[in-house]
Amino acid sequence: MTKITNKSIHIKTQPLEYDAIVVGSGITGGWAAKEFCEKGLKTLLVERGRPVEHKKDYIGEGVKTWEMPFRGQVEKALVEKQYPVQAQCYAFNDATKHFFGNDHDYPYSTEKDKPFSWIRGNQLGGKSLLWHRQSYRWSDFDFNANAKDGYGTDWPIRYKDIQDWYDYVEHHVGISGSVENIPQLPDSKFLPPFEFNTVEKRLKAKIEQNYSDRKLIMGRCAHLSKPAQHHLEQGRGPCMARNECQKGCSFGAYFSTQSSTLPAAQKTGNLTVATNSIVHSVIYDANSNRATGVRIIDSETMQTREYYGKVVFLCASTLGTTQIMLNSVSETFPNGIANSSGVLGHYLMDHCYNAGAYADIPGFEDEFYSGRRPTGVYMPRFQNLVDKNPDFLRGYAFSGQAYREAWWEFGGKKGFGVDYKKAIQQAGGWKFGLHASGEMLPRYENQVSLHATKKDKWGIPQLHFDCSYSDNEKKMMQSAADTAAEMFEAIGLKNVHKYTNDRPMGIAIHEMGTARMGKDPKTSILNGFNQAHDIPNLFVTDGACMASSAWQNPSLTYMALTVRACDFAVKEMKAGRI
Amino acid sequence: MMKENVMDNAADQVTDKLTASETLSQVDTSRRRAMKQLTALFGGALSMSSISLAVQGYQAQKDIPGRTGKILNPQQLNLLRILVGLIIPATETPSASDVDVHGFIDNQLAFCFSKEEQLAFIRGLEKLQSTAVKQLGQAFAKCHQAQQVDLLNNLLSDLEDASGDFDSKDKDFFYRTKSLTLLGYYTSEIGATRELAYLPIPGGYRGNVPFDEVGKAWALN
Repeated sequence: MTKITNKSIHIKTQPLEYDAIVVGSGITGGWAAKEFCEKGLKTLLVERGRPVEHKKDYIGEGVKTWEMPFRGQVEKALVEKQYPVQAQCYAFNDATKHFFGNDHDYPYSTEKDKPFSWIRGNQLGGKSLLWHRQSYRWSDFDFNANAKDGYGTDWPIRYKDIQDWYDYVEHHVGISGSVENIPQLPDSKFLPPFEFNTVEKRLKAKIEQNYSDRKLIMGRCAHLSKPAQHHLEQGRGPCMARNECQKGCSFGAYFSTQSSTLPAAQKTGNLTVATNSIVHSVIYDANSNRATGVRIIDSETMQTREYYGKVVFLCASTLGTTQIMLNSVSETFPNGIANSSGVLGHYLMDHCYNAGAYADIPGFEDEFYSGRRPTGVYMPRFQNLVDKNPDFLRGYAFSGQAYREAWWEFGGKKGFGVDYKKAIQQAGGWKFGLHASGEMLPRYENQVSLHATKKDKWGIPQLHFDCSYSDNEKKMMQSAADTAAEMFEAIGLKNVHKYTNDRPMGIAIHEMGTARMGKDPKTSILNGFNQAHDIPNLFVTDGACMASSAWQNPSLTYMALTVRACDFAVKEMKAGRI
Repeated sequence: MMKENVMDNAADQVTDKLTASETLSQVDTSRRRAMKQLTALFGGALSMSSISLAVQGYQAQKDIPGRTGKILNPQQLNLLRILVGLIIPATETPSASDVDVHGFIDNQLAFCFSKEEQLAFIRGLEKLQSTAVKQLGQAFAKCHQAQQVDLLNNLLSDLEDASGDFDSKDKDFFYRTKSLTLLGYYTSEIGATRELAYLPIPGGYRGNVPFDEVGKAWALN
């Protein structure tokens, strides 16, 4: 019998035992469910939010602007009551708002003067419906980073450990991009890249002539630019270049749980999905030293129940997973499950997107484009690879695009009347911007913990954030703004403007760390296979596992780590060690 | 996987409706053919899902005498009607006032703006009115169009306004009005589909297109 050590919740038992329990149905949870199901395990996928059905529940998709109640804007009273944090996200609008968490129902607290914007997608599919789909491999520059400068703990893996798993997920997902042979940004298995427009081509040539260390490449993204047969067989089709992805895509052209991993898992007949099921905590049995299942609160009925499984994968998002772990207390683990090291909740990172530059490009009035490309151009990190930058550690990438100013950019321009209307109709001038995405150092003091008294409406302790960027990130952003502006001046762009800002952590939506991987059980939660050092059948494969943040978008790496961990877990189960 | 002959008949029915209303004429024949198949395969849910959000959409209204807004009184709404028509006048396509952008702005102010922003907007309208009365001796609506245009040019002037009647708040008001007018006009059906080039489902991205091939700015850029 399972010993219930957490007294704060009354449990009604549920007799079924699954082979695998996966908590969270976003990018990593979807992958874990697919892998386990395809390997023949009876799998339970637990999701705290409501079900979202592919195509049918994309209620904002295809709605014409003039049919929108407020032409895409969201009612102020609704934002204030339910979405004050979520509305800070670039993708939040009237056609996407139902895929964002409700701030009223999911409260959290922050340390004074240390804001954190926690963007959430609490529904089946999680943030896989909302993500920006940029997909980049990490390299050994990244896996070696902690060991090199001493921030954070050394990664227990290197590129060679994950390379084949990148191949594996990319084949299924479909990553559009170009082969570049850039050491710090290994190539993926690519579908064709999206096209550069005429101006971007010109800028690429000029930049690469002027700077031998910099390349401007097409942004790599999880879009079916040209689907292969196996993508068509997933029920997915080519990208239509609408660039309204976060409304949901009935063409299944971008990778999401709904478009890709969920149907694959369901096809096996091994999948059970429990939606509206909030995981209160992981059940731990001290006698066997195993996680034996999860305690659930039904979000609608408030009823509680338990599910049992032979292996538990936490894929509930970096902070969701950490909240569950911190709330899973027992005599053995009074400070959170698998937390003998005491580092659970620490080393929280996010990327820093707080600098860049933009400028005008004179001419090219005869040039245009057709379609709305769902990706931009990308300049991989070029600093602190060989030479050492005196101002900051690690590095950043730039992303951006060249485009002609559209009608909405004329509001701040001079004029009105017939000429003004004609000018808008003839499209504005060309603009180009590059915006930094910088690596954040892992630091012990950046942490989340359970609030001592505040709880959500289900009685679960709220997360309390105490984190901020350090001088290294701030110096890096200043340098990025300066560097972009210098580059623009050097290649002859006009009206160059550089900027830095101090947007809070969280808004890059690349939360990482808090249950990090490491070689030493005394200083890390997980080993090199995402397995808890303390409990062999407990795994964490979402962003919580990351020991550093690198400068690339992290989702592709989460996917590769997840399938690798699934493969390992099944082998361990077969060998009788789990 | 895609059996073309089987798909084509079914696709025709779905997409003829789509192509008629959604300006796919710029798409070449083979692309269009591929689109038909794809829409049948993947896009069936598009038209269904469109309905749910449309219920509450702002519907353009006629300007009956004494028409009052949700937050603007009849005089203010009428002034705004003239103002949006001056910003986006009629050309080969209707003006912003013809498609009730003033009604849209009133509705938008009521639901999407704070009390302070609403009051600031009303203050801006009233200031324009009082300045017209002061400088020209009559209500803004009664002035000749040339006088109205002069007054607005005066407001926007970078040089210190000789009369000293307008200040930076008035300028902010006018820029906000312009932005809201553009939003209301270019997201309206006429503004998006007749004044600009409208392609809701482009079918792919092409980076090198002569401007003349499109001929107009995109409504969705």
